Amino acid sequence: MKQRAMKRRSTMQRPMKWLLMLWQPFTVALVLALAALALRPAAEALREDENPRDRAVLDEVATTEVTGDVSTALGKVFTYGPGDLAATERAAAQELSGSALKQYRQIFGQVKKQIPAQRVTLTTRVVRAGVVSLTGEKARLLVFLDQTATRAGEPAGTPAAAQLVVTARRDHGHWTITDLKSA
Amino acid sequence: MATTAERETRTAARAERRRPLFARWGLIGWAAILAAALFLAWSAWTVWQDDPAARTGPEHTRDVVLRSARQQIAALNTMNPAEVDAGLRAWLDASTGPLHDQLKRDEPQNRTKIGKSRTTAAATVTGAAVTSLDERAGKAKVIASVQVELTLHGGSPTLQRKRFEAGTARTPSGWKLESLTAIPAGAR
Repeated sequence: MKQRAMKRRSTMQRPMKWLLMLWQPFTVALVLALAALALRPAAEALREDENPRDRAVLDEVATTEVTGDVSTALGKVFTYGPGDLAATERAAAQELSGSALKQYRQIFGQVKKQIPAQRVTLTTRVVRAGVVSLTGEKARLLVFLDQTATRAGEPAGTPAAAQLVVTARRDHGHWTITDLKSA
Repeated sequence: MATTAERETRTAARAERRRPLFARWGLIGWAAILAAALFLAWSAWTVWQDDPAARTGPEHTRDVVLRSARQQIAALNTMNPAEVDAGLRAWLDASTGPLHDQLKRDEPQNRTKIGKSRTTAAATVTGAAVTSLDERAGKAKVIASVQVELTLHGGSPTLQRKRFEAGTARTPSGWKLESLTAIPAGAR
């Protein structure tokens, strides 16, 4: 009676024991399978570091953000009149950096002398803007501008077309313009 | 003197020690390892085969749209009166839909106009960007700034700057322009 019970227990335990015995090969197999699954994400991360993905147009939020920041900045920096030259210069120092700021100061130095005497107001409006490339924290944009110069007391002048290729960099969540070139 | 039971366990232990560790893994264990190893090899091979330059998907589509739009906008602003047929064919090749229809309809007029003016136009796209892309519908919008070198027969060339907004659509033979609108200064 006692013997038979023991025998039954041992036959019930056999598959369990057998599975326990296989834990080593199964662990090896599991590690191999996990490595296989991790291979693709790892390779992609590596490639992404080598040449980061261009998110222009595809990442709608980032594209809208950079287009908005750059358009606002261009409007602020290239709109000025005799009364608000200091404010424009402050905006430029905030929105521009690097060679864009250097270039701007060169032009603005001359403008500052002429504007009060000529009493001219320059208004700049962004007509179209598109993101050419957007990788990491760097972006390149093509912007179409309309610039209107108006003398005090006279009707608004006819707008002139300007096309710029703008390079921008993201710092602390805000895009600043680092380079300006006419296209 | 050891009992029989003791001797039995000792021989069993010795037999255990003599058998290598792996031998106890059994057919099923080895099969599992082999399957996992094959999976790893296959996975490594496909990752290796993947060429990042041959990326498909939206990123690739956007680049194709931009590249073909640049070419086509340049083609539609280029004309050599000495080779009107080739020029007009290039216009038709670059376009689809409404723009294609319009160019086809206006072909006789364009031909006489070009013949009369005898002006050579050579366009280069100096900057272009995709502004919207609907991959599913196969439509995209592109803006481009263009520099056109106009040479009146025998005269010296003059430069003209233009800016355009173009609608492009996917066709069986690639992305083509279905609209091309100039954006002059003061335009909305």
